[in-house]
Amino acid sequence: MTLPDAFRAALTADFPADFASSDAADLVTYGKDWTKVFTPAPSLLVRPRSTDEVSRFLKLASAHGVAVVPSGGRTGLSGGAVAAKGEVVLSLERMRAMEPVDTLAMTVRVQAGAVTEAVHHHCARDGLFWPVDFASKGSSQVGGNIATNAGGVRVIRYGLTRNWVLGLQVVTPGGEVLELNGALEKNNTGVDLRQLFIGSEGILGVITEATLKLTRLPEKVDVFLFAVNDLQAVLALFEEARRGPFTVMAYEFFTDRCSRRLEAHRKIRPPFEAPTSHAVLLEVEDAKPGALDGWLASLFERGLVNDGTLAADSDQAKFLWSLREGISESLSATGLPHKNDISLPISGLKAFCDELEALLAKGYPGWELCLFGHIGDGNLHVNIMKPEAMDKAAFLERTHACDADVFALVKAHRGSISAEHGIGLLKRDFLSYSRTPVELALMRALKQTFDPKDLLNPGKVL
Amino acid sequence: MPIKILVTAKRVEDYESKIKVNAQGNGIVLEGLKYKINPFDEIGVEEALRLVAKHGGGEVVVASVGTKDVHEQLRHALAMGATRAIWVNHAGPLDQMTVAGCLQKLIEKEKPDLAILGKQAIDDDQNQVGQYLAEWLGWSQATFASKEESLESEAEKSKTPALQLSADAKTLTVIREVDGGLETLECSMPCVVTTDLRLNQPRYASLPGIMKAKSKPIEEHTPATLGVDATPKITVTKMEHPPARKAGIKVPDVATLMDKLKNEAKVI
Repeated sequence: MTLPDAFRAALTADFPADFASSDAADLVTYGKDWTKVFTPAPSLLVRPRSTDEVSRFLKLASAHGVAVVPSGGRTGLSGGAVAAKGEVVLSLERMRAMEPVDTLAMTVRVQAGAVTEAVHHHCARDGLFWPVDFASKGSSQVGGNIATNAGGVRVIRYGLTRNWVLGLQVVTPGGEVLELNGALEKNNTGVDLRQLFIGSEGILGVITEATLKLTRLPEKVDVFLFAVNDLQAVLALFEEARRGPFTVMAYEFFTDRCSRRLEAHRKIRPPFEAPTSHAVLLEVEDAKPGALDGWLASLFERGLVNDGTLAADSDQAKFLWSLREGISESLSATGLPHKNDISLPISGLKAFCDELEALLAKGYPGWELCLFGHIGDGNLHVNIMKPEAMDKAAFLERTHACDADVFALVKAHRGSISAEHGIGLLKRDFLSYSRTPVELALMRALKQTFDPKDLLNPGKVL
Repeated sequence: MPIKILVTAKRVEDYESKIKVNAQGNGIVLEGLKYKINPFDEIGVEEALRLVAKHGGGEVVVASVGTKDVHEQLRHALAMGATRAIWVNHAGPLDQMTVAGCLQKLIEKEKPDLAILGKQAIDDDQNQVGQYLAEWLGWSQATFASKEESLESEAEKSKTPALQLSADAKTLTVIREVDGGLETLECSMPCVVTTDLRLNQPRYASLPGIMKAKSKPIEEHTPATLGVDATPKITVTKMEHPPARKAGIKVPDVATLMDKLKNEAKVI
C-alpha cells in the first residue's frame, strides 16, 4: 500500500522528526511477531511517546484511510501483530513509563509499552507482583499482554491477565481517548467496555495505559518433578495436588518425546532413575511441612507416581523449570514443529488425547506428536513434528488438512482451538470451530461499531 | 571391599539471595536469606556415594558444624544417599581452624578410609579446611579433584566415580586441576580429597530418598565434647560491597568506539 502524500506531509508537519521510520531493517523487525509464516511488509513504523500522539496519529490515519497495526513486544504466536499488507506499525515501545506503586490499593499505573519483566521488578521493591508471567516476559509488553489476555504458567493460581487489569486507557480507531473504569475494584454501571478490549487482539482500539491490580509476592515456593505412567496418572495426580497441603502455583506436564528432543538439543534430562513416559512439574506455595510428608508418602504407597524429586535450592528449581520451558525451543531446534495451542474441559482430556493419537496414526502416519503444556488449565500444546523424510512444503500444505481434523476433534470435545495464543492471522480461518455463527456475527458487529472503516489491525481475528 | 568415607555439608547462603552488608559493616544481613549445601561439598557427597556403590558398599558419613539449622544440609546429604550424619552443635563465629579441628577429632573417632571435602565454601571462599585437616591428621592430600571426562560423558551419565581406588585399597589415584591443565596424583590411603567443580554432577535427591532421610540418625557433638577450642583465631573487622560498576555508554559508530578505546580507555 502506498501512503497518501497528504498523510506523509501531515506526519512531517505535526509530529516529532523521529516519530516515523521507513528504515528497511526497522520495517522487517517491527512488521512481525514470533510466527514465521508471514512475510513482514509494513509501509511505515511510528513510535509515539504519548497518548496524545497516538490519538492525533489515529485521527490522521483514519482521515486518510490508512490501516494501522498496533505493536508491543512482538512475542505473539498467532500473527496478531504482523503487518503483511503495507499497514503502518504503531509501536508502543516508547511509552514505557511506570508510576510509583500504590501500596494501599495494591495497584500500579503503567504505559502500554512497559515490559512485563520491568513491571515485575518495579513492583517487587514493595513486595508486590503482577501475576502475569511467562517465558517471554523479558520482551513482552503490558499492552500486548492485555490485548491478548495472555496466559502462561501461573494461570492455575492467578487466572488470566483479564483478572489483573483494573483500568484501561484506550484510543479508538477514530482517535477518541477512553478512560475505562479508572482504578475501581467495583463499578456496576452498565456494560464493562474495558473487558471488550482485553483479549481483542488490537482490532477494537489501541491500549495506551493501564491500572494493574497487584498481589503479594509468593513466599515459600517448592518445585517438584514427578515421573508417572501415563496421561491418566497425570490427571489423577492433578486431582491429588489440588487437594494437597499447599496452594498449586503451576501444574505442567510433558511426554518422553519432548524429553528426548530436549536432551538432543540442550543436553539436559529429567533427574529420574529411569526414563519416564510422562513427567509432571508441580510448583506449590506455602507447603505445610508435616502434612506434605504424609501427602507424598501416600502418592508412592498408592502407586500414583513412580519417582520424583523436590528442588533443594533455587538452582535445582531453575533446572526443573528448564526441563519444561526448554521444550518449545528444542522442538524447533531438532525439527519442524507444527504448533497448536488448544484447551479442553479437563475431564475430557484423556479421551481427547487417545483419539488424537489414533487420528494421527491413521491419517498422518509417521507424524510425531509431542504433547506438553499447562495441563492444570486443560491447556495442551499440541506439536506435530515433520517426518524427517517429508518435504517441507508438502508437510506445511498437509498441516492445513491436519488442523481441520484436529479442530473438528476439539469441537467434538467442546474445547477451544486457541487456549492462550489467540487467533490473529494464523487461526482466523478456523474460528468457526470454536464460535457459533451468531457469536461471529456479534463480533463483526462490534468491530463495525468501533472501527467502521476497518483500519485497525484489519484481517486479524475476523 | 566396603569402604567408609567422611564427607561434609556446610550451610551457605544461596547465591540467588540478595547479599547485603549489615549496618555495622562487620557481616551480612541475615534476614530473608535462603540457604543451601555448599555446592563443592555436594560434589563430595556425590563422589563418595559413587565410590561406595562401586566398591561393594560401605558407609558415607556426613558431618557439619553450626546451629541446628545445619540439619537441613545434613538431611539433604542423607536424602542423596549418605548413611548417617554427625552434627557438631556450635553457635557463633567459626574459622577454618575450628572446623578443621572438629573434623580431625571426628575422623580420629570414626576412622574412615577417606575424607572428601569441598575445596572451598562459596560463602567466604577460604579454601583452607581440607589442607589443615590433612596436615593435622598426617594424611596425604589431593586438592581440586577433577577428571578428564566432561560432565556430558557416558562415564558421568553412568555415575562412574572419578577417584580410582586400587584393588588392595591402599592407594587412591586423583586427577586434579592445576594451572594450565590436569595433574595425576597417587596418594596412599587414608587421605583427604577436596573437590573441584568438574569432578561430577551431583544427583537430585529423590522423593523416596528425602522421605527416608527423615528417619536416618543424626549424632550430636559439640566442639567442647570433641575437645576442640572454638575460640576464633580470625575476626572479621570490616566488610564492604565492591564498588558499583559505572553505567556503560552508547557510541554512534565504530570509529568513535575505536577512538575511545585508543585514547580514553587506552586499551588498544
